[in-house]
Amino acid sequence: MAIGGTDEEPAEGQGGSMNASKPQEQRYQFRVLKSTRQLSKWTGVWVGTVCLMAFGPLSLWNRGSVFTLLAAGLNVCVGLGLILAHKKFLANMDELQRKVYLDALAITVGTVFIIVVPYAVLDAYNFVHLKTGVAISGLVILMSLTFLASLLYGSWRYR
Amino acid sequence: MKNRLKVLRAERNWTQAELADALEVSRQTVNAIETGKFDPSLPLAFRTARLFALRIEEIFIDEASAQNGDGVNAEAGARDKAVAVI
Repeated sequence: MAIGGTDEEPAEGQGGSMNASKPQEQRYQFRVLKSTRQLSKWTGVWVGTVCLMAFGPLSLWNRGSVFTLLAAGLNVCVGLGLILAHKKFLANMDELQRKVYLDALAITVGTVFIIVVPYAVLDAYNFVHLKTGVAISGLVILMSLTFLASLLYGSWRYR
Repeated sequence: MKNRLKVLRAERNWTQAELADALEVSRQTVNAIETGKFDPSLPLAFRTARLFALRIEEIFIDEASAQNGDGVNAEAGARDKAVAVI
């Protein structure tokens, strides 16, 4: 790579070796892009298995069929792959990106605890009551929105 | 913690993207370090020092010891002031 618009390599001791000779697959941007693509693929496949599990019994096979169990098993297996892809994605981030990401995850977990614990107590005393399905959906939406907002805030803070 | 990363980069006519590529971090990280919003880890500080062929304390300045007029840090601080004046 030419530095500062010249083709000359900087002199030794001037802070020389930019990673021009580094293979493409070892470079940071390439590794991040690759792990992001892998994570996207795994997420897509996982969402597909969730759809299969949710809508398969309604349109592809009879309710109570063994296929429903197989779809659930497939969803769990793909979920494990998704977790590993997520772990790899985190490992390939640089330290600031990782900090922003982990901060966002911490805020999400904290928010869920703050919302869920009082809700569970109020539910126990019949102050509030939501159907289980609605409560789980609400929780997933809450987690997603909190994570997204925290991630955007973190990126803006260190922009 | 202050640092001289922006000055050192400017001396070599490197862009933030080029420096980020050399340090294997994102451009956002280089910018955050330069503006003092983020302090790098020790491995990244070592990588930076190696790239510029300087000692870590010639790049990163502990503000407490700089105020006490401490050795290399004070020297680096004085150099920064001189560059700023120029």
